[in-house]
Amino acid sequence: MNGTNNAGPPRESRPRRPSNAKRNVAFIFALLVIVGSVLSVDIKYERLVDLPAGIWLVVYKMYFERGPDLSYLGVSIEHMVQSIEIAWVGTIIGAVLSLPIGFVAAKNVSSGIISNVFRQVLNGIRAFPELVLAVAIFIPIAGLGPVAGALAIGIHSVGTLGKLTAEVVEGIDAGPVEAARASGGRWVQIQRWGVLPQVLPEIVAFWLYRFEINIRAAAVLGVVGAGGIGFIVQQTIVFGRFPLAGTALLVVIIATILVDTVSGWVRRRIIEGVETRRIVDAEIEQPALVDGSAA
Amino acid sequence: MTVAAGAESRRPAKPRPSLAIPIGLVTFAVITWISVSREFGIDLNLGELAENITRGARILVREDTNPADRGLLNPNWVFLTETAEPMLETFAMAVLASVMGCGLALPVSFLVSRVTAPNGLVLSIGRAILSVIRAIPDILYALLFVAAVGVGPLPGILALLFFNIGVTVKLLSETVDGVDPGPIEAGRASGATGMQTTRWAVVPQILPNYVAYSLYVFELNIRASTVLGIVGAGGIGRMLYREYGFFHWSNVSVIIVELFVMVFLIELVSIWLRRRLV
Repeated sequence: MNGTNNAGPPRESRPRRPSNAKRNVAFIFALLVIVGSVLSVDIKYERLVDLPAGIWLVVYKMYFERGPDLSYLGVSIEHMVQSIEIAWVGTIIGAVLSLPIGFVAAKNVSSGIISNVFRQVLNGIRAFPELVLAVAIFIPIAGLGPVAGALAIGIHSVGTLGKLTAEVVEGIDAGPVEAARASGGRWVQIQRWGVLPQVLPEIVAFWLYRFEINIRAAAVLGVVGAGGIGFIVQQTIVFGRFPLAGTALLVVIIATILVDTVSGWVRRRIIEGVETRRIVDAEIEQPALVDGSAA
Repeated sequence: MTVAAGAESRRPAKPRPSLAIPIGLVTFAVITWISVSREFGIDLNLGELAENITRGARILVREDTNPADRGLLNPNWVFLTETAEPMLETFAMAVLASVMGCGLALPVSFLVSRVTAPNGLVLSIGRAILSVIRAIPDILYALLFVAAVGVGPLPGILALLFFNIGVTVKLLSETVDGVDPGPIEAGRASGATGMQTTRWAVVPQILPNYVAYSLYVFELNIRASTVLGIVGAGGIGRMLYREYGFFHWSNVSVIIVELFVMVFLIELVSIWLRRRLV
């Protein structure tokens, strides 16, 4: 930007220091937003003093006063299993819907306008959290219960999965596609034999990754009555039955870590076959960072 | 190029079909069958669902004399003024949580990266704690903090804070794992302490990523903070849930449109900034 600044003969050979103006403006703007937030948010700052004690009291009541109530283990596990089932079905719904949409949204195998339209649709879907989808759309349709939760998770997943699918499809090797076209394949045949085999391992890995994220979502849907363990965690906390809440929370943590571990292992096995692009957890997030996808 | 005679016979043997795929497919089928079944699962019945879609349609287009009671497709725009304050609170919560969360995440990720961890013990204990932190969803944090400090935006910010630390530290510590070791060696060779090496050899390398992750986390926070109010942790979620409870679909509709616009705008700005940074 400062390279254009060459009015007058250069007096020194040393280049001019790049201007910080833009950065400073951005910095001041960010600072104003932060200060504005501090001032506007209605927090009783004197309550901050009691904060550590308050948090400790909850933890103490859950785990140390009488220990977590293990007689609640059966009920908790039953509800957690339902959460996992919701996440599983939701992920399948998301996967089935997002696969064709992802292909249509990829610039290289679809046409420009269509791919743009579908990209915006995917962006739009991502804007609504699962809980909002559940409350505003799926509980009214399917009634209270796990089916509404699974549908909410499924539709929300379409947003991210469709976008990731489109990105993977855009990164394919064009060779097989040309070969399929040269031998007279129709569009669907080209996708099936030229594109799908190239992208499937990565896309299946995304599905599993999404399943891991959906487990967390399914663990909270219960707070609006959409099934799973969220309901009993909320009820036990609201009614002050902390030893029970402690057990339920423990079940959530252990089950989530277990599913993460198993799913992560399977993902790594699936991807091992793909040599060109290795995906470990972080790299699934990173391409998204440039283009602004979100969980 | 000459083709060696007998190339046919030197063709490598076809690999034996792997058992992994059939095992995977069977596992998939079994879990799916259990999950949708009436006895053990969530009882997903597509026929019933198709019938119920009409119920959804009624909510979309319902007519009523009271503007708040109309369907989702008739937003009650008068309601917009009432939503301004909780929307602002939602935004402020996300800002504060992002600032605090990302501020805390930077030092923490140095503790749990193989490159910069002071010793193996800190590394493994830190990672174990973080996987527990990541295993608890944001709304459950909000429930716990509401129980601890009462309703309002404070428990919401705390919930987002924990959620942020989980996400940011994971992304950032993996970035730290992947830094170019050259500057670190140079730092060590010139006699720098661990802290100094981190400050001068690692931080400059990860800074662009760090800023990009922070913006990304801010986006996640905006989305997350819209629903925390459902459990009493501040923001627009509380109003959304209340209007839903009254079946005021036209008001729910206004909030949904607002959420959509806010999330979309912030994402646009954030993507634009990240493109320039990365």
